[in-house]
Amino acid sequence: MKSLSAKSFRTITITAVVLVVMIGYVTRSELGNLSALGWGLITAICPLGFLETMLASKTLIPQALISFIVIVIVVIVFGKFFCAWICPTALIQRILPKRSKKKETANISEAADYADDCGTNSNVVNKQLHLAEACKGKHKNIKLDSRHMVLGGTLLSSALFGFPVFCLVCPVGLSFATLLVIMRLFTNGEATFTVLLFPAILILELIVFRKWCTKICPLGACVSLLSGLNRFFRPHIDDNKCLVTAENKECYRCSKACNVEKINLRFPSKSGGSMNDCSKCRECSDSCPTNAIKFPFLPKNLEREKPVLPTKHFSTKNE
Amino acid sequence: MKAQLGFTRRTFAIGVTGVLALLGLGGASRLVQEKPLTRPPGGQDEDDFIGACLRCEKCLEVCPAQVIVPATVEAGFLNTRTPTMNFKLGWCDYCKDYNGGSPKCVDVCPTAALKLAVDSTPENTIIGKAYIVKDWCLGWQGKGCRICLEQCPYDAITTDEYSRIRVKYDACNGCGRCEFVCVSLMSGSYTPGATDRAITIKPTQIVDFLLANEVNG
Repeated sequence: MKSLSAKSFRTITITAVVLVVMIGYVTRSELGNLSALGWGLITAICPLGFLETMLASKTLIPQALISFIVIVIVVIVFGKFFCAWICPTALIQRILPKRSKKKETANISEAADYADDCGTNSNVVNKQLHLAEACKGKHKNIKLDSRHMVLGGTLLSSALFGFPVFCLVCPVGLSFATLLVIMRLFTNGEATFTVLLFPAILILELIVFRKWCTKICPLGACVSLLSGLNRFFRPHIDDNKCLVTAENKECYRCSKACNVEKINLRFPSKSGGSMNDCSKCRECSDSCPTNAIKFPFLPKNLEREKPVLPTKHFSTKNE
Repeated sequence: MKAQLGFTRRTFAIGVTGVLALLGLGGASRLVQEKPLTRPPGGQDEDDFIGACLRCEKCLEVCPAQVIVPATVEAGFLNTRTPTMNFKLGWCDYCKDYNGGSPKCVDVCPTAALKLAVDSTPENTIIGKAYIVKDWCLGWQGKGCRICLEQCPYDAITTDEYSRIRVKYDACNGCGRCEFVCVSLMSGSYTPGATDRAITIKPTQIVDFLLANEVNG
């Protein structure tokens, strides 16, 4: 059943998108790239690009507005899936060499923190009460951080200087531009420094500054503001299967697996990120030893049936 | 829905840096004098164009004549990835043959950076103007070359009383056919010192400047 990990599946979808765009270029199909993907009226225009150009040119294009509204609806239905399943930067960060191993050690020390909080108190009662309490917590709805400031700066600079400033350095646009410029180098013999410049900017943004997605990306910020309304395909822990609730064991695998968005699904009150930032990458689901995490289409009143199990377990153990 | 601020001092610093970087990039790009470029039909108002162009590169993908190319960084950072015309690859016939006279690049532009007025015609959409470097032109050297004159779809090239090639600037709209067909630097012809074809399309303001500075007009 578990033949393909979520990670390989995401690699496939991102590669497929890139390939389709490249085939579109070669066959002159009018498809375009992620800045404006599609044909005629059925074109998905980058929502950030739409806002930027609207502010910069001070004109509202009805067709672009329709596309923006459609994207808002798609984000409400599917959430922030773009970041994990479509955005080429996710793949670039994975295939290019990482700058340092700092991240992994950070994760381990974080896990140790949880252990301190919930486990090593030696007092089983305390621990279990703590677990029950932690599981009950609510996820933050919207977390405003540096990305949202950059989003503000993006819109402000576009309005001030009269052109979409962020588009100049957008790693999504630059990824496709790099492929195009390399392709043109061979097909048209257009030798230009651009071939070096675009990858240089990409490496600077994505590799040297590895936290692009969580700290800078205004596109992600834009989507995360909208995805607060998303109710479908949200990750849900089956408490009857989860080691923490069902067997009262320590397990931090799902929160460790969420290493981009830093969401702690099991202990929402300890979550570093907001559920709005869940890109539905399914890493938590893959990492769960008991397959307790699912992404159901509808939420089906999950919150209410939750905190029954830990107390039951706690009483049996105490006797 | 509750909004919560997730700012640590570090996050805040990153945010401020990001905002300043964007404002700096915007300001710097505006301050630096950008090289004027020939734009596809509908992109002639440079301020409107640069304000709305997403750099999605859709126009160059659809251009049936394949004459639209992405500007490179050599044309300035602000211009990079915006569409410009390369008349070595083809010439713009306003999609007369391909799309019934409605330019495809204008049709596909998602943010209307390329947009044409209702009364626009190929004749009044000025992509650029033709400019002849007389030292490089075979016609000017008395070698009898008349290819650009024969091919110009708008009869914008003529000869003067000494049978030298001249551009009729009120008729030229910069369609680029003359540059496309020009044989100088092509077909084995060689003129000492030539770095480009003898007749090229340049943005109107550049041609105006060059004409004003010509010694023997």
